[in-house]
Amino acid sequence: MNRLLGVALGVLTAIGGFLDIGDLVTNAVVGSRFGLSLVWVVIVGIVGICVFAQMSGRVAAVSGRATFEIIRERLGPRAGGANLVASFLINLLTLTAEVGGIALALQLASSVEPRLWMPLAALAVWLVLWRVKFKILENVTGLVGLCLIGFGVALFLLGPDWGELLSAATHPHVPTTEGHAVYWYYAIALFGAAMTPYEVFFFSSGAVEEKWTVKDLGQSRINVLVGFPLGGLLSIAIAACATVVLLPRHIEVAALSQIVLPVAQAGGKLLLAVVILGIVAATFGAALETSLSSGYTLAQFFGWSWGKFRRPERASRFHLTMIVTLIIGLGILMTGVDPVAVTEYSVVFSAVALPLTYLPILIVANDPGYMGEHVNSRSMNVLGVVYLTVILVAALAAIPLMIVTGAGR
Amino acid sequence: MTASSLPRPPRPRGRVLDARLHLLSRQVLDRHDVPVTTIDDLAFSPVPREGAHDREEVTGARTYVVDALLTGAALVVRVFGGRAPTSVWERVGWQHVSDVGTAIHLGVDGDELDVTWTERWVRDKIIRHIPGGRHDPE
Repeated sequence: MNRLLGVALGVLTAIGGFLDIGDLVTNAVVGSRFGLSLVWVVIVGIVGICVFAQMSGRVAAVSGRATFEIIRERLGPRAGGANLVASFLINLLTLTAEVGGIALALQLASSVEPRLWMPLAALAVWLVLWRVKFKILENVTGLVGLCLIGFGVALFLLGPDWGELLSAATHPHVPTTEGHAVYWYYAIALFGAAMTPYEVFFFSSGAVEEKWTVKDLGQSRINVLVGFPLGGLLSIAIAACATVVLLPRHIEVAALSQIVLPVAQAGGKLLLAVVILGIVAATFGAALETSLSSGYTLAQFFGWSWGKFRRPERASRFHLTMIVTLIIGLGILMTGVDPVAVTEYSVVFSAVALPLTYLPILIVANDPGYMGEHVNSRSMNVLGVVYLTVILVAALAAIPLMIVTGAGR
Repeated sequence: MTASSLPRPPRPRGRVLDARLHLLSRQVLDRHDVPVTTIDDLAFSPVPREGAHDREEVTGARTYVVDALLTGAALVVRVFGGRAPTSVWERVGWQHVSDVGTAIHLGVDGDELDVTWTERWVRDKIIRHIPGGRHDPE
């Protein structure tokens, strides 16, 4: 019974913790401009994150080595260092977007200027990182994040023509109002949002934090293979809501208030309140994950003591890194940049950094020195290589497409 | 002389380690499994002549042993090239190494080693002064 409860908790946390500001914004923007014609990318992205999150978790559980330790070990100081710089900056950008997202969601709930919320949000994130146990911070934000199911409820209440939605999703074509380059630019953005590198840093380091062993691999596989796809279904619900309400009215998503507009229209104040709570939890959880990831990447590259399972004084440089990163992120926000714009850039840059992150995981997952009998199966390797190719193409195309399309304008 | 007529080199005893593959960039853990550093470079020194093989006298080859694991400035050198003065090397003597696996294990406390001075500095100057820094998370 206890075991079943544990499995259920893990899956629910994975669903609620799957979405972050990147998924929210990108899916709503795409829904409002392209309808459901890019749903296939979300599905491709979810399968990809399942493959690599599961692989990085297995490597961490079997060998005790988290992802960035492996990146450093396999790529060496130069290529590993380049990856560190890129990953750290992208992570900082994502963290900035998440803290901004918390503030925007709180603004929706309170009508108080977001710049007043930002310092409070950053302080709250730090306090949780400083004092709360890993397991608790992961479970609470994950479970409250389940409120985002409100997007699914809203979709049902809107009563769309399901057949039409389904055929739009299964017969993707570029809308006449948009160019091909823009279509592919947003395809890469969606892919980057689903496969953000911080998720594997967090997932593999979390395996070490929770002291997983080979015995926990079954549970972790269920969490990933059930939780992530259901979380991805919420992504699609967000896009579908935008398709039904925003697309026909030519409303372009430029703020969080437009993302939740379909929810308010369908379910009124009550459902809106639930969804805002979900957004606060999802962005807060992701702000915790990205702050931790900034500490994880730096500490693992340089071989510092790290982890929330240690007292802050036993992992001092790790905690200092998180404090400094949060302060920089807050500083960026206080200049008055639009968090939604920061989000749109962060997901595309994420796509650029993906190959250097996922290649070392794939290599080490095949190394019996690390994995013993738990090396990748043949089918897993085929999937991994196919995805690495897709990731490489997306990474190479991202920047040129960004320039050509003027970042999707 | 054909290749087959050359004498086969003696097989070394014990495990064969490729320094580049099995040592460089690996994590170094202390005796409580707390990370100490990553191996940024290695310092070698020649085995003293009197202990050397006769064959080496003939070929001129010398046997080198790993003296210490290097970190700190050694990383900058590995990334950008050049040569760092020996005074700025941060070293962990090889005598502290107790096991070489997917991570390198030491038989001592990380806190006793010079290379962890930044960790101690940040801890003593900053982290300990913030309330709650000395306690387990709740």
